[in-house]
Amino acid sequence: MKKYQLNNEQLPSFIDHLKKQGTVFAPHKKGDASFSFKKVEDPNTVILDYNRTLNSIKKYFLPPREQLLSFSKRDNSFQKGFIEKEKKIFLGVHSYDMKAVLKLDYNFTQGNPEENYLLHRKNSIFVGVSFTPDEFHFSQSVGIPVHNTEGFDIYLEKNTDGYTVKIITEKGEKLIDGFDTLGKAKDIATNYTQFKNKLKYNYNRLPEVFEQSWNAAVWEEISKKCVGCGTCNLVCPTCYCFDVEDNLDLSLQTGTRDRSWDGCMLNSFAAVAGGENFRKTLAERQRHRVYRKFKYISDITGEPWCVGCGRCTAYCTAGISIVEIVNQLCDIYEQKYLNRPAMAGLNAERL
Amino acid sequence: MSIAISEVKTQELYYPEIAEITAVKRFTDKEKWFDIKLPGGRSLGHRPGQFVQVSLFGAGEAPISITSSPTKKGNFELCVREVGMLTKLLHELEVGSTIGIRGPFGKGFDVESFKGKDILIIGGGIGIVPLRSLINYVIDNRNDYGRLIILYGAKNPNELLFPDELKQWEKNKDIEYHVTVDQGTPEWKGNTGVITTLIPGLDLDLPNTITAVVGPPIMYKFVLMSLKTKRIPDENIYLSLERRMKCGVGKCGHCQINHSYVCQDGPVYHYPELKNLQEAI
Ligand SMILES: Cc1cc2nc3c(=O)[nH]c(=O)nc-3n(C[C@H](O)[C@H](O)[C@H](O)COP(=O)(O)OP(=O)(O)OC[C@H]3O[C@@H](n4cnc5c(N)ncnc54)[C@H](O)[C@@H]3O)c2cc1C
Ligand code: SF4
Ligand code: SF4
Ligand code: FES
Repeated sequence: MKKYQLNNEQLPSFIDHLKKQGTVFAPHKKGDASFSFKKVEDPNTVILDYNRTLNSIKKYFLPPREQLLSFSKRDNSFQKGFIEKEKKIFLGVHSYDMKAVLKLDYNFTQGNPEENYLLHRKNSIFVGVSFTPDEFHFSQSVGIPVHNTEGFDIYLEKNTDGYTVKIITEKGEKLIDGFDTLGKAKDIATNYTQFKNKLKYNYNRLPEVFEQSWNAAVWEEISKKCVGCGTCNLVCPTCYCFDVEDNLDLSLQTGTRDRSWDGCMLNSFAAVAGGENFRKTLAERQRHRVYRKFKYISDITGEPWCVGCGRCTAYCTAGISIVEIVNQLCDIYEQKYLNRPAMAGLNAERL
Repeated sequence: MSIAISEVKTQELYYPEIAEITAVKRFTDKEKWFDIKLPGGRSLGHRPGQFVQVSLFGAGEAPISITSSPTKKGNFELCVREVGMLTKLLHELEVGSTIGIRGPFGKGFDVESFKGKDILIIGGGIGIVPLRSLINYVIDNRNDYGRLIILYGAKNPNELLFPDELKQWEKNKDIEYHVTVDQGTPEWKGNTGVITTLIPGLDLDLPNTITAVVGPPIMYKFVLMSLKTKRIPDENIYLSLERRMKCGVGKCGHCQINHSYVCQDGPVYHYPELKNLQEAI
């Protein structure tokens, strides 16, 4: 692997170099305490040292709202939606968010490969950056260490003077073509990559836990705190459920068929006409959400579908923590099925 | 796992075909039948038990079972109960109007594997709509199948669908047709009582009888209990489930039961498979 040194003061010119090759999206400050991926206008506003963005880059491949088609009721005709195939360069992506994109790739290509997603997704380049895990990150527990470079074309590993630039793919190699001021690699990593937040079991043992957790009291317990707002679905980088709705414009004759993000925590998600709702209670809906992250798709792919970004916990208004949920299930499993007392402390590591 | 995205062949999944309503019949206060013609008179190419997404611009889409048999070439048929916005607007449409169609979707009944077997149909209320596709398929391939036994239950005689066809089934010596209503009227001469009351009296060749059940969620529990008492093996039972559906192609998540997408793996399920799904029935 080729490596170079990029010093902090070179960063703006590096971003300018990227901008010549495509539309660049990178993290920016959003309000006081939050970050957000945005199209880069001014390289000096890009922030590569951040804990997490409110939304992941999922929003570029599965937009929060997207027009599927436009129609006219006059003659019952429609026109196909239009998706621009611009070249996108994502700069400053964390390893767990990259992994989440690879998981979405799976979901949107299995069975029926969806054109909408794939048109947005093809022609993207990813430049990753390292991060310091905070109290919410736990991606290591789901198999994604800080420096996991899977999916990236280039990876920037923070060091005292700037970044070690690691060239991962040929696309990455091409991307730095013509940027001649990169220095010799120094290899002086400074990112503190230990995780404070951990699942009790490594992810490869979670399937056995979830096998036994359907009737756990935990679901009822958390449902007492949960308000069913669906925030945890919206901010999750691997949630991709959507609603489809026709919207008429003022003429009431023409309009658009749009899809928008939906969430299985919302009451109406599994309701049908005539008053039947197949997941009526918050406990059932929580269980469905968490099983989707740790069992249903995982049984098929052998990977957890949670990437440990910590968003659902950091942004939950009710203070519900996915790590606590899973760890409680591990405790119950241990007591009930392995006849061992639970270890003290939530973060005791058992691999 | 990484997927080579640039090599995946994409599919347009969400564009309907514009089809024409060529005949309409009212069966009851709530249910209407529609004959639908695809562009060029093409056949839909479905299996009994599959469904389409019916699209009305401005109102959206709704999953509706195909009620005609694939043995009928050309136009296909739908039967729709008016329950909300889209179905109300659909009921207002007349011959010559156009609607959007996507599909067919789902797995449907595995009619090939049913060959040589006796077929027991149990339909409650609007559940007869998808079952009619299977019934007519069996009638049109009569030599491939054994006995055809139909149990049909409705709330009252006024809610019975396909009245003309019911009369034919009744007359047809090759079909054992039994109907019951929860509540009779003074003119009603037939059975009264819920559909499960028709099951104990059946004389069945148990290992050789395939049972197809479609009805409202509440019906399944009771029918399955009766079938168990009757000692019909689980392997011989098929059920069709209703769920909210937005895409029909396994993406939107609305129809999901555990790991299974009803729009892909269902709506018709083999009962042994359903027993392993929580929240299914
Ligand atoms: C596989 C399948 C086959 C079906 N076959 C038939 C049939 O042959 N004949 C028939 O009359 N009905 C059938 N239904 C039920 C039919 O889809 C609903 O009655 C219809 O979607 C209601 O739409 P609405 O706008 O009139 O009702 P509303 O109550 O106004 O619908 C409100 C919202 O709920 C959604 N919704 C409500 N019920 C359902 C549902 N069951 N599935 C998906 N979305 C729903 C609608 O999309 C809409 O967004 C079937 C359902 C499924 C899943
Ligand atoms: S964000 Fe919190 S309160 Fe809202 S639905 Fe999710 S768990 Fe419940
Ligand atoms: S479930 Fe929570 S922690 Fe896991 S990927 Fe989704 S938002 Fe992140
Ligand atoms: S209807 Fe969308 S996933 Fe089944």
